[in-house]
Amino acid sequence: MPVTQKDLMIKPKDALLKGHFACAGCGSALAFRHAIGSVADKAVLVVPASCASVYQGSGKGVSFNVPTVNTAFAASDAVASGISRALKKKGKDDLKVIVWGGDGSAADIGIATEIGACDRQENILHVMYSNNVYGNTGGQRSGDTMIGARTATTPDGNTTPRKMVPFILMANNARYVATASAAFLEDFVEKFQKALSMEGFKFIQIDISCPPNWRADSADSVKISRLGVQTGIWPLFEWDRETNTVVLSRPGKKYNEKENRKPITDWTKLQGRFRGITEAELKALEEDTERQWNFIRKFM
Amino acid sequence: MVVKQETKSMTGNDAASYAALYAKPEVIAAYPITPQTTIVENLSRYVDAGILDAEFIIVESEHSALAACMGAAWSGVRTFTATSSQGLLYMAENVFWSGYGRLPIIMPVVNRCLAPGWNIWPDFQDSMAFRDAGWIQMYTKNNQEVFDTVLQSFKITEDKEIALPSMPCLDGFVISHTTGQVDLPDAEDAYEFVGPYDDPIIEIDVDNPWAFGPMTGPDLYAKNRRDLMAAMERAKKKIVSVHKEFDERFGRSYGNGLVEPYGDDEADLTLVTLGTIGDESQEAIDRLKAEGHNVNALRVRTFRPFPFEDIIEFAKKNHKLAVIDRAVSFGHEGPLRIEVEAVLKRFNVDTEITGQIMGIGGEDVSYSKIIDYAKKELKE
Repeated sequence: MPVTQKDLMIKPKDALLKGHFACAGCGSALAFRHAIGSVADKAVLVVPASCASVYQGSGKGVSFNVPTVNTAFAASDAVASGISRALKKKGKDDLKVIVWGGDGSAADIGIATEIGACDRQENILHVMYSNNVYGNTGGQRSGDTMIGARTATTPDGNTTPRKMVPFILMANNARYVATASAAFLEDFVEKFQKALSMEGFKFIQIDISCPPNWRADSADSVKISRLGVQTGIWPLFEWDRETNTVVLSRPGKKYNEKENRKPITDWTKLQGRFRGITEAELKALEEDTERQWNFIRKFM
Repeated sequence: MVVKQETKSMTGNDAASYAALYAKPEVIAAYPITPQTTIVENLSRYVDAGILDAEFIIVESEHSALAACMGAAWSGVRTFTATSSQGLLYMAENVFWSGYGRLPIIMPVVNRCLAPGWNIWPDFQDSMAFRDAGWIQMYTKNNQEVFDTVLQSFKITEDKEIALPSMPCLDGFVISHTTGQVDLPDAEDAYEFVGPYDDPIIEIDVDNPWAFGPMTGPDLYAKNRRDLMAAMERAKKKIVSVHKEFDERFGRSYGNGLVEPYGDDEADLTLVTLGTIGDESQEAIDRLKAEGHNVNALRVRTFRPFPFEDIIEFAKKNHKLAVIDRAVSFGHEGPLRIEVEAVLKRFNVDTEITGQIMGIGGEDVSYSKIIDYAKKELKE
């Protein structure tokens, strides 16, 4: 079922109550409200160390209005496995076990746990919201940091390509893998609900803007995410194990053709993390972007 | 009345898996590590054969084994895993997370020394590294006690007033892979003793959402830890009462469940021990007494919570404690000696105390070695 703007306005239950601690312009909190809100009566959240462990609020004032289990950085997919199996045992497998965490856990420290859960076909959905950086700890490079980004641990610019976690999970026989963007919430929520309708291990990587760590104006949060898609930096696609085919998503489809893309600098210039990026780095970033597209095209 | 039991011969690991089978855990997570592996192998066979109706999660690491059990515990089901040595260390953050999180998990630790070098033989360096993790730790002396302790652990851990995970410890190989005699009750009788886990300590509920372990300021955090300290205190009484109930039903006891004295109340020398060295010490005591020496022993069965009241009471009546440790706090002494010595001082008990580190990395600790050590201490 296509999700429309109108659907997003109807919240059966507000999953993110007042008083959350998200930064102004946080794409993750925005994505959370709409996605989790769409299944709030059935959602069971597992949150590894991440921004979500902070922006859920503190102590008795937690603003996540769904059961939420906070776990160690690398533990989330295994905890979610235990929950999912226990719920199955109790006949409560109508509940949706969702890991909601950042790229630090999904691309780096927790990737073995994640592949383990994928390998076992655990009935969980992992949503990796990616700001391509360790945000909570002050903006250090992660495995999902883009080439050229100035981070706290790559002050002269990151030189290594992104890990491309979706492809790793496709290779490990996930049930469903998709990418999304916080600038295209209808598309994201549609993929989110589609994933939850399937049995097995599902994975969605969503691009979310991070104004503090990207050193961007919070008012530009959605704009930057949208430009991420329009410049081709963030391909939007879904992949289903049963068809083993990548389908490009409507909002990002035309950016498969290079000539339709906006210049990458439209996107980088709004972000302080790319201040001082060299021509060579820009070229390497473009090449890494093309590497992603080439991989995707093999499955189209 | 003591129930009917059948005497069987089995390894210590078999005894642990029988106890788990009889308690009917609903979620089991398993990762292989010597010498623990046969415990979870047995359970996988029970599940495959349909004898045990459980979700069996074959995880990719020990870190995930405990994490999966934590997820199950949060969901309100009975859960079980087991580990050893490096595996326990690999779990480390989750060991603390589940202890401080008060999650009812049963995880036998088959004690094995730590690398380097690669060595699969027993010492207590692994579990001793986790004495501050908020877990109940009980050290067993033989195969029978493994079965009894694992079974008792479910009942202690899952009590709402306690809510502390349990780590029954058994010496690798000396117990885990050595066949011994175990009196085994019927599955029904064993299950009746443990009871169903139908009123869980904690349970995920979408109609009443809560967040577990969010950011917590110092006041609430400190309160949580003080609650844990209080629960550990309550656990002492609970261990004694469960042990007594077990004795009434199955006719077996180990002291009062916290400590097991052996020999006369008063002696010139008292051997203080943990685990299988405790069993071997009993043999040493018998032989020393036959030679005319006045010796006795105190085996500390429960190490966490630390039963200092019972230790003090016993120490007061005696003249010299010789503590045998199978682990070292490098830069200090063996952990058992450190703790016993501390409580003597705290309660102004002037009983002399000394200690010896034995059995590291599986060094054989025979009764004859214990006798040699005891004689040395008797002379001094």
